[in-house]
Amino acid sequence: MQNVVTYFAIFFTALFMQAQTDNAASADATPTKYQQGMQKAFQLWQEEKPWDAANMFERIATAEPDNWLPPYYVAQINVINSFAEKDKTKLTAQLDKAQDFINDATAISKNNPDLLVLQAQLYTAWIIFDGQQYGMTYSPKASELYSKALAIAPDNPRVILSKAEWDMGSAKYFGQSIEPYCKEIQRAIDLFATFKPAGEFYPTYGEERAKQVQMESCN
Amino acid sequence: MKISVITFLIAIFPSLLLAQTIVSGTVSDNNGIPIVGANVYLEGTYDGSTSDEIGKFSFKTSETGTQTLTVSYVSFEATKITEDVSKMQQLKIQLREDVNSLETVTISAGSFSAGDNSKISVLKPLDIVTTASALGDFVGALQTLPGTTTVAEDGRLFVRGGDAGETQIFIDGIRVFTPYSPTTNNVPTRGRYSPFLFDGITFSTGGYSAEYGQALSSVLLLNTIDEPTQEKTDISIMSVGGGLGHTKKWEKSSLSVNATYINLAPYIALLPDRNDWEKPFETASGEAVFRQKIGGGLLKVYGAFDTSNFELTQEDVNQPEGTRFKLNNQNFYTNASYSEMLNNDWSIFGGGSYTYAKTNVGIDEADIKDVENSAHFKVKLKKRFSNRFKLNFGAEQFVTDFNENYDDSNFSAKLGFNNNISAAFTEADIIFSRELALKVGVRGEYSEQFKEFTVSPRVSFAYKTGKSSQLSLAYGDFFQQPDSDVLKFTNKLEAQQTQHYIMNYQYSANNRIFRAEIYKKQYNNLVTYNDEFPDVNTAFLNNGDGYAQGLDLFWRDNNSLKNIDYWLSYSYLDTERKYRNYPIEATPSFANTHNFSAVAKYWINDWKSQIGFSYQYGSGRTYTDLNKPGFLQSKTKSYNSVSLNWAYLISQQKILYVSVNNVFAFKNVNGYQYANAPDVNGNFARRELLPAADQFFFVGFFWTISDDGTDNQLDNL
Repeated sequence: MQNVVTYFAIFFTALFMQAQTDNAASADATPTKYQQGMQKAFQLWQEEKPWDAANMFERIATAEPDNWLPPYYVAQINVINSFAEKDKTKLTAQLDKAQDFINDATAISKNNPDLLVLQAQLYTAWIIFDGQQYGMTYSPKASELYSKALAIAPDNPRVILSKAEWDMGSAKYFGQSIEPYCKEIQRAIDLFATFKPAGEFYPTYGEERAKQVQMESCN
Repeated sequence: MKISVITFLIAIFPSLLLAQTIVSGTVSDNNGIPIVGANVYLEGTYDGSTSDEIGKFSFKTSETGTQTLTVSYVSFEATKITEDVSKMQQLKIQLREDVNSLETVTISAGSFSAGDNSKISVLKPLDIVTTASALGDFVGALQTLPGTTTVAEDGRLFVRGGDAGETQIFIDGIRVFTPYSPTTNNVPTRGRYSPFLFDGITFSTGGYSAEYGQALSSVLLLNTIDEPTQEKTDISIMSVGGGLGHTKKWEKSSLSVNATYINLAPYIALLPDRNDWEKPFETASGEAVFRQKIGGGLLKVYGAFDTSNFELTQEDVNQPEGTRFKLNNQNFYTNASYSEMLNNDWSIFGGGSYTYAKTNVGIDEADIKDVENSAHFKVKLKKRFSNRFKLNFGAEQFVTDFNENYDDSNFSAKLGFNNNISAAFTEADIIFSRELALKVGVRGEYSEQFKEFTVSPRVSFAYKTGKSSQLSLAYGDFFQQPDSDVLKFTNKLEAQQTQHYIMNYQYSANNRIFRAEIYKKQYNNLVTYNDEFPDVNTAFLNNGDGYAQGLDLFWRDNNSLKNIDYWLSYSYLDTERKYRNYPIEATPSFANTHNFSAVAKYWINDWKSQIGFSYQYGSGRTYTDLNKPGFLQSKTKSYNSVSLNWAYLISQQKILYVSVNNVFAFKNVNGYQYANAPDVNGNFARRELLPAADQFFFVGFFWTISDDGTDNQLDNL
C-alpha cells in the first residue's frame, strides 16, 4: 500500500527553481539593505550555492522579524534539497529546520497559500524518503493543505498547479481519467501569463513546471 | 603635517572612514574538526558569512559597540558571543552537538515503540493493522514481538513469564481498567479500542519509567491522535458486522465518532465451531474523541461504550451435557486529559479516567453479577532545564470500587472491596553527550487497603557503541496489588513485587533493526492460598516467589528484498514460580520455552495489492497430568499457525480485504481438562482443550468518503 504513496510522491521530485531575476530589475536606484541582501541571496542560489543562500536568508530573517519571505526561502531551500536526500539524519535535520522556519513564517503571515503549499511539499519529502512509514500520516495532510490553499487562492496558478499535480499522480495510478487535472494545468498556464507577484521578492516559480507537466502528461 | 598623515591614512585604509570592522575566526566541533557551512552573523544586522572548507569565516561590518555574534549549524547547538565588535577577531568557536538530534543515544532497554517520531521505533503505525494474524487487534500485532508468549486461547498479553494481569494499558498516560472485551474459555479476547484512534504505541516488556506503576511485568502506552488530518466518513461492511465513522474538523477543535456492530450468528451458521451457541457473540460499540486547542494547550476527551452478550454450551469432561455459559457485559470508559507548554520550559499534564463495567455471568445454575467503578487521576509537571537535563514529577490516585453478587440454588454471597492507591513519582533525564544518557527515577505508592507504603527505584542507562549501535541497561522495582479475584475475599495482604534486570543491544541502519536483550526478573510476595478455588474462608498469604530469565531477539529488514518488509522474533524463556495454590515451584501453563514469529508483507504494484503473511510457533505449554505423579509436569505439543491476508485497492477510497487465520488448519491443543474423579480403572479421563475453531475467515469492504478523495481506511485494517 505504502508504495502507492511513494508512487504519488515521485511526481514531486521535480525541483522548483526560482525565477527570481525578474524581481531584481524592479529595485530602484538606491537599494535598501533588505533589497541588497535578498538579491545577494538569490544570486548565491543561482550560483548553485544553496546553503550559502539559505544562510543569507536566515540572517535576513533575524534582521527582518516581520517579513515572511526570508524564512519562507530558508525553508524552501531545505525542503528542495531534501527530496533526493537518503541519509535520515541529514534529512531529519533539514526538514526540522524547514519546519521551524515555516512556523516562523506562518506566525507572520497566516493562511498564506504559498506557505501551505510549501508545508505540503515538506510532507512530500518525508513520503518520498519512506512512503511506508510516512505515507499514511502525511499524504492526507498534504492533500488537505492543497485543498485549503486552493480555497484561499482559487486563481493562484502555483496553487492550482501544485494541487493538480498531486491529484494527477493518484488518478494515474488508479487508471482514472486525468482530464480534469489537465484542464487545471491549462488554467494555471493561462493564469501564469498574467500573473503578477504581490510584491518584490515574492514567489514566482511554476510556469516552466506547468508546461513541462502538460507536455509529459496531457496531450 | 598632521593633515597629510590623515590623508595618508585615509588613502591607505579607506575603510577606516566608514568605520568598518572585520569579524573573523574559525568554527569547529568539540573534537576540533572544522564545520563547513556554519552560518555566522551579527544578530539583527545583515552582516555575516558562511564558514568555508576549513571552517574559517570572515566578514566586514559597519556596526560598532557591543553586538551579538550568532553561530549556527544544523544538528549543533547555536552559540552566541556578546562583546565589542572590535574584539571579534580570530575567534575560535566550538559548537556543541545538539543532543536532540537523531544521532543521540536513546534508552531502548525493554521498550518497543511504534510511531513516526520515535527514534527507536520497531513497528510502524500501519503494522498494527496490516499484520496478517492480528485481525485488526493492536494486541494481536504486539504478540509478534519478542518477550511475549503465545497463549492462543486467551488473546491477552503475557510478557516474560508474567500472567496477563501483570501488563497494564494506558491511553494518553491514563490507566485503562478493563482493556479487553469479555469472552469465555478457549475463545481469545480482543482489545476493546480500535487501533486507528492511536498514532503512537510504546510496548515495554520491562524496566519502564517511574511514571507507571501497578504493573509487575509490562506496560502498553497508547497515544491518541492530536489532530485528525481531514474530514471524512468511513463505512465498513464485514462478514461479521459493520461500522460507520465520521470525523469533523473545526478551526480549533475536532470530533471523531465511530460505531461498530458485530454479530457472529451468520458466520457460525455457515461455519459451525466446536461450541454449541445458543446466542452467538454480539456486540455494539461506540467511540468518540473530541479535541480542542485552548491557547497553547490541548484538551482531549475520549469516551467509549460497548455492550456485548452471548450464550453457549461448552464441552466439559465432568458434565456430559456440557457447561452452560452466558454473559452480558456493559462497559463505559472515558478519559480526559489536558496538556500545555508553560513559560520557562515548564509543561503540565493533567488527566483522569473513569470506568464503569458491569458483567452478568451465568455458569450453569450460578448467577454472578459484577459491578466495577474505577477512576484514575494524574497530574505531571515537566521542566526542561536544558537539552541535556529534564525533570519530570507528578502524583496520581487510583480508585476502584468493586461489588459482586453471587447466587445459585443453595448459596448466595455479596462480596466487594474498595481499593485506593496514591502515588507520587519523579524522574530525571540526563544526557551527558550523544554517546551517554541516563534516566533515574523513583516512585512511591501508598495502598489505603493494605496500609502499606512501597518505594520503587528505577534506573536506565544507554551507551552508544558505534555509529549505528548502542547498549542499554535497566533496573527497576515494581509493585502491584493482587487482582479482584483475591481482593474481593481479603485485604490482609501486601503488594506483590518484581525486580527487573535488563541488558539490551540494538543495531539500526538502512531500514534494518537488530535487537538482542537478556533479562532476569525476580518475583517476590506473590499471593498464595491452599484451596482449589478461593472463597471467603480461604487463607491468603504473600508467600510465593519465582523468577523469569531469558533472551529476546528481533530482526527487521525493509531493505534487502524489493517490495518486501519482514520481521523475525525469537524468545527464549526460563521461568518458574510458586503462587496461587501451586504445591511446588513450577512453570505456569501460560509460559513456554521457545516462541518464534515471522511476519512479512509483500506489495504487488501491478495488482495494487498487499499480501501479508505471518507464522507463529510456540513450544509446548505445561499442564498437570493427573495420571502421573507431579504438578505441571507434562507439556502439550507445540503450537503452529500460518495466517495470510490480502488487501486490494479497488480505487483510492475502496479497499477489499480478505484474511485467513491458520491457513493449514494445524490442530493446536491448548491444554487438557481432567475429570474430577478417576474411572473404575483408576484413570482420570481427559479432554483436549481445543480452540473453538481451527481457522477463521474474514472478508471486509472498506469505503472512505472525503472531500479530496485520497484518504482510505488502510489504517483500519
